Amino acid sequence: MPDLHMAVCMKVVPKPEEIRVDPETRTLLREGARSEINPPDMNALEMALSIKDEAGGRISLISMGPPFVEEYLRVGLAMGADDAYLLTDRAFAGADTLATTYTLAQCLHKIGDVEVVLLGEESSDGATGQVPPGLAEWMDYPLITLLRSLEIDKEQNVLRGRRNVDGGYEILEVPLPAVISVATAANEPRFMDFERKGWAFEDTQVTMWDAQDLSAESQFIGIPGSPTIVTGLEQAASQERKNIFLDGGASEIADQLVKILRSN
Amino acid sequence: MESELSEPTYITLDDNLWGEILEATNGAAGPCFQCGVCTATCPWGIVREEDFTVRTLLRRAQIGSLEKVESLWLCTACAQCEASCPRGVPIAEVIRGLRYLLWKRRHVLPDLPTTLWSLYWNNNPWGQPPSQRTQWMGDLEVPLFDADRHEILLYIGCTPSFDRRAQNIARSLVKVLKASGVSFGILGEGEPCCGESALDLGHRPYFEELANKAVAVFYQNQVKKIVTISPHCYDVMQNEYPDDAEFEVHHYTQYLASLLQNNLLSFQNPLNHKVTYQDPCFLGRRNNEYDAPREVINSVPGISLLEMDRSGPETLCCGGGGGRMWMETPIGERFSDVRVREAASTSAEILVTSCPFCITCFEDSIKAESLNGLKVLDVAELAALALEELT
Amino acid sequence: MVASLFDPSEENKAIWVLLESAGVELTDVSFELLAKGRELADEVDWPLAGVLIGDRLEHLNSQVLSHQADEVLLLEHPLLEAFTVDAYTQALYAAIMERIPSVILFGATPNSRDIAGRLAVRLRTGLNADCIDLRMDKDRGVLISDVTGFGGGVVALLEMPDHRPQLATVRPGVFHSLEASAPRSDKVRRAKVELDQSVIRTRIIEQVKGEGVSIGQAPVLVCGGRGISGNFEMLTELAELLGGDVGATRPPVDEGYIERERQVGQTGVICHPEIAINCGISGAFHFVVGIQDAEIIISINSDPNAPIFEFSDYCVVGDVEQILPALIQSLKEERVVTHA
Repeated sequence: MPDLHMAVCMKVVPKPEEIRVDPETRTLLREGARSEINPPDMNALEMALSIKDEAGGRISLISMGPPFVEEYLRVGLAMGADDAYLLTDRAFAGADTLATTYTLAQCLHKIGDVEVVLLGEESSDGATGQVPPGLAEWMDYPLITLLRSLEIDKEQNVLRGRRNVDGGYEILEVPLPAVISVATAANEPRFMDFERKGWAFEDTQVTMWDAQDLSAESQFIGIPGSPTIVTGLEQAASQERKNIFLDGGASEIADQLVKILRSN
Repeated sequence: MESELSEPTYITLDDNLWGEILEATNGAAGPCFQCGVCTATCPWGIVREEDFTVRTLLRRAQIGSLEKVESLWLCTACAQCEASCPRGVPIAEVIRGLRYLLWKRRHVLPDLPTTLWSLYWNNNPWGQPPSQRTQWMGDLEVPLFDADRHEILLYIGCTPSFDRRAQNIARSLVKVLKASGVSFGILGEGEPCCGESALDLGHRPYFEELANKAVAVFYQNQVKKIVTISPHCYDVMQNEYPDDAEFEVHHYTQYLASLLQNNLLSFQNPLNHKVTYQDPCFLGRRNNEYDAPREVINSVPGISLLEMDRSGPETLCCGGGGGRMWMETPIGERFSDVRVREAASTSAEILVTSCPFCITCFEDSIKAESLNGLKVLDVAELAALALEELT
Repeated sequence: MVASLFDPSEENKAIWVLLESAGVELTDVSFELLAKGRELADEVDWPLAGVLIGDRLEHLNSQVLSHQADEVLLLEHPLLEAFTVDAYTQALYAAIMERIPSVILFGATPNSRDIAGRLAVRLRTGLNADCIDLRMDKDRGVLISDVTGFGGGVVALLEMPDHRPQLATVRPGVFHSLEASAPRSDKVRRAKVELDQSVIRTRIIEQVKGEGVSIGQAPVLVCGGRGISGNFEMLTELAELLGGDVGATRPPVDEGYIERERQVGQTGVICHPEIAINCGISGAFHFVVGIQDAEIIISINSDPNAPIFEFSDYCVVGDVEQILPALIQSLKEERVVTHA
């Protein structure tokens, strides 16, 4: 039986508190903002790594983004992934989830033998949670979202995942190949393995693929491939705490609190 | 309950593991002749019936075994054992080395990887946004370090940058330094984490990476003299950074003591209080600095300093070293609970210390022990209160 | 440009809302969807259809109609009895292609998000996710959605002028539901549902209702500290009324009032609730790091100088033992009013 091949999709996102909206141009000011790997994607990678620890297998990392994302993929390689693909092309820019999931799907088709695709439940910047189902749809793979644990049965060619729902849980099974999303904080991502770090950051190559490498149709990528357009952008009300002291007797305070709770 | 006597009679030796342990611990456990003074002096003996068997850990390091070594996460790196070891074994170093082997095997306690990731993504172990590193300043104005204008770099460190209680130490120290007229600056948002928590948690390779980054930032800013707030930052910069580093490092109590000696600083505002002083392990036992903080305290008019029974080289650890700040300690096993009772028994009104970790632990313990009459202050806070016309 | 399977010129000017039910009643977010859907439909004078999907759902028709849908669209099939994303997506897809509505709204719940995400790709259209507000541009018949990004720091307006249907998921709890009132119509239509077992790839191995502690995901977190003297029953009652969960600082955990799994903070769980309510908590930093991402922080403490107030939006200086019972009482009374 060949080794299980897993792919983990990773997004590099700016640290949320460092993003500002230019009040004049109404565009995002990302300049100088520090970035990080989308935290739920770290949970997805950890889930794949723990499968690899137990049952063996191979993990490919896939990310779409500008060239600087390469360094972040190397973090995932140092954690234990085996190879990394960076989908980078100016033509990919401006993608909404339809175009993003198409591009990721083209990459999966090109890699060819991936049996389990793992993603974080959502990204900390867009927070749509649409990429896992969208990718499953392009691939025509079954989908289970918000998993907290995963087991893979290569004999039966299925995976079983546990997700929490309505205060309880359910265990679902789907045949391979499949797409799963991993619940935020489902596990604690391991730190980088410093024995791998030299290899991950210096010796190994990250595969760079552009639109042509992916045989991506131009109508499906970047801005043309994105039905959604952004027509306005605003800085949300300040995140500073309001520090409002409520006055009155217990029942008056209770009434004020009810109003506050209901309006949020 | 595992006593030291119930050691397995037979153990399978693994030459490769032996070699690996030898390398990770630098062979430092070698001279140990198993007298057991380490176990006997370890402060865990005060709070636990079942000792933290340091001696056994050393034996395992000698013979090359990692069985039952989980207890090494208990070590607070207080160095009490090292002080009494007749063979001069750097025991905390051995334990750090063994911890790294557990990192390699991924047998670490929960939340510790998250602490290292926070160092990686946030440049601090507290999971705080790096962009808020200067939030501690409030409305104080402190210039960014400029080698042409500033004699010293005031290195704030992560805990005084982010922990609301510890921020007051940084603000107090700034006021005291300003009063002395000394020229100083800070690195602001660009201040690198010193890496101490990575080292204390046993991840020396990552610590070295962080240390090299920090040194590069100091060089780039042409820093010649660093004053740290935390003894933990001081300890690694002084003892673990590359030997050829071209800057000197002082703990702020040392720096204030020298200002006092040179009459560049004086305290005018009498504080008529009885105080006692906690020697932080990382300043006292690990760096042999017991006098400087006492000189600062005793320079405050009106202060009367009462010593606890365990003080100086015998100081009792607060429990926050050795990475224990990032681990949970069960109730009944917190050294700081014992320590605040000891402080209160001197009839002191204020427990003074000079380490942000001690402050955090003691503030919790004073509440837990309902010692409402006892206050916790850092030496820098005490000094700021003693300045004339403090507003 | 990517083209959706049908374009604006072919659309039926109608708004659909996909409803979910729990037992004999629609879920809260379904009522919220009906209310918002009604408002949007009135803005453009289009009909609103409440879409029910499952098996044998007729008992829900009256709830849909009394919450002011113009019609019920029933998608019923034995293979829809249990939720599977494959079957639900397939059934809805067929109904959409048959009726080509302009707008479809979903609750941003785990199941509806999965359906919406698959449908958007199958239909080659856009999906505005986790919206906090919606309106219709009357002239163009275009849905405009407010979404937040970057942890809530940025609000963006999204639309898809050239693609149909216009899909959006709506964050639960954002919109207010309407009281039941006299139905506008009694129209119930059934969509043709053709399903084969082979489309369903998910097998349900086990389903267990309500157990286990996972405070990290709770939308409302009621935390107790030293100042509540171990009275967690009160906090639990409040948390249940608000659909949330209970957390604690270290001292009550130490004293055995509550399990360690509920400890919040640096050496406990880092939580991301929408609302955190801190009761009798002074605000040590190692606790605060566990709740500081909350959108709203409310704190009750008898000490006006407690550091927790610095981290709070709403501060109540007072006795938790008096404030909480009053709050619980008010919430219960309010509940009686809305469900009357």
